[in-house]
Amino acid sequence: MNFFAAINNGLRELWANKVRSLLSMSGIILGVAALIAMVTVVQSMMGGFRKFVELRGGIEKIQISKDDLPKEQEHLAGLSVGITVRDMKAIRVGAPLVRYISPEIRAGWEQITLPGRQVNTVVTGVGPDWVPVNKRELARGRFIADLDLLQKTCVAVLGAYTAEVLFPGNEEPVGKKLKIRGTTFTIVGVLAPVDPGGPPGRGSSGRGGISRWMNNGVYIPLDTAISRFTGNEVLSALNVSVGRAEDILHAVPQIENILLQTHDGLQDFRLETNEAMLADFQKTEASFTYSLGGVAGISLFVGAIGIMNVMLASINERIREIGVRKAIGARGSDIFFQFLAEAGVISFLGGVLGLGVSFGIILAMNSILAASIPDATTATVKPVIMLAGLLFSMGVGLLAGIYPAIRAAKLDPIEALRYE
Amino acid sequence: MTDSRSISFAAGPRESVPLAVLRDVRKTYVMGDEQVHALDGVNLTIDHGDFLAILGPSGSGKSTMMHILGFMDKATGGEIIFEGEDVSRISAARRAWYRANRVGFIFQAFNLLPRLSVLENVILPMRYSRECDMREATARAEHAIERVGMTHRLHHRPSQLSGGERQRVAIARSMVNRPGIILADEPTGNLDSKNVGRILELLESLLVEGLTVIMVTHDLGVAEHARRVIAMRDGKIQEDRRR
Repeated sequence: MNFFAAINNGLRELWANKVRSLLSMSGIILGVAALIAMVTVVQSMMGGFRKFVELRGGIEKIQISKDDLPKEQEHLAGLSVGITVRDMKAIRVGAPLVRYISPEIRAGWEQITLPGRQVNTVVTGVGPDWVPVNKRELARGRFIADLDLLQKTCVAVLGAYTAEVLFPGNEEPVGKKLKIRGTTFTIVGVLAPVDPGGPPGRGSSGRGGISRWMNNGVYIPLDTAISRFTGNEVLSALNVSVGRAEDILHAVPQIENILLQTHDGLQDFRLETNEAMLADFQKTEASFTYSLGGVAGISLFVGAIGIMNVMLASINERIREIGVRKAIGARGSDIFFQFLAEAGVISFLGGVLGLGVSFGIILAMNSILAASIPDATTATVKPVIMLAGLLFSMGVGLLAGIYPAIRAAKLDPIEALRYE
Repeated sequence: MTDSRSISFAAGPRESVPLAVLRDVRKTYVMGDEQVHALDGVNLTIDHGDFLAILGPSGSGKSTMMHILGFMDKATGGEIIFEGEDVSRISAARRAWYRANRVGFIFQAFNLLPRLSVLENVILPMRYSRECDMREATARAEHAIERVGMTHRLHHRPSQLSGGERQRVAIARSMVNRPGIILADEPTGNLDSKNVGRILELLESLLVEGLTVIMVTHDLGVAEHARRVIAMRDGKIQEDRRR
């Protein structure tokens, strides 16, 4: 009996017992679907998250922000002023591992006016290091320079989306003037748009969710923002980045020591790294992998039992057939491979159906994600995962088929022929 | 093993030696503390082209003898020479080879595989013997089916055939591999009298082509069609009569 004859035979048996075969396949179907959906979703989540971290300055970035005082210092709350320009200067002097320092002062949600048009957006005072810390690029013109801070010039850089709204078509924004709270600013540059990924048609032009927020805004020199808008040196954010990712480990205590000094021992600040976010996410990924992997594993185990069960039942029904086959010349190995091929066919078809179900699961998850998070990355099944799922299901099926096939092969032809 | 590739069902080679020789063949089963001698020293020579009927009540050892002659079972003692070769102590795989290539079985219950068509049932022994490719196997199967007059039912399932038709297909299956010997276990046991006659005629006609037929039966009337009748009792040959 050759390979194709055995497969043909397996298909015939499967077709002759359609309902039973489908029931016995259900475990394999669910197992493969869970396995493929899990790997795909976790992989795309991980991919999306890495992109997310990269968009936020990568793992070299440290975010310094104001925090509540610990319990033992609560009575000193009145002394806490938050993160200030002084802290920034102290870090610049005292933390050699820090390469870029990007202070931010949020001037507020302002109305930007140009002759004949206006838009409401966030105005932020920043320094020149804002670009490298946030891993951003300029589409045209220049960014805010040290000299702008020193001379408190009235220049502005526009976010890609803001520029698009204020200057539709091919109008050149650089060199144009705009007014914020009555002060005239000269536009010196436009930021390149960032695309956090997501469904096509949403990300690139920056109209939805995260990308809209990231591509929005007007940036002015930090000192200009202090003198013209906030009037104090309290920063709304202080982000720094190290030259090499592995320097993070040492840069964090360095900065903490400096801040404890500038804050007179008050622990009213917090340092966050994207590395910590990444580590958190890796934990989430692991828990997803283990829980979904567990589901997949249990389903495949149940699938294996289902296949073994149906094979044993099938053999019991066909003892006489096995006797006939042996009487006309089938060797034990012929019978063994015949039944193994049947188990293989069942598990392969189960795997194929499971693949179909996994597409359904992923589609459903994508649409749920798309509905709740507009810029969520969509998951797509990679061919290598499909192949792995199919091979895995076939492996499980063949393994489950071995014992019944051995039993069939060992049947005594005389006993088998007598069987009623 | 076959020396002729032409489409005929002529018996095997070495016609100068007897087809099978059994010398003091014994088969003993142990049932609890008791030993049961299913075959108790059987001596028998079967010539090419013989038509042999083995008669006997149940428990006489006729089925055991057929199983041993058909390479389905091993003797516990004695010597069996088949087509000039000592086959008394051959492996299970070798016995399967003999079943696939040198022996054809016909059963009382026909034992056609229900999911296969007439043609596929007849092709099956050639799949196991691996002696020819699919095209040749199909041609040989069609020829065998034609020989038993079942060409009009080539693609029917066994369930669509009458008892007599099924047995004719089973005969086609038994002879398709040009075996040296055809073993028929009560081949007419499930048939009405009209079909009994037809099947016996068919078996007799195979002899013309040089096949050897051994038929186990307990029907005297059926046994009378054979050229040689062997009566068995208690695992021994009681009578060996040529007509």
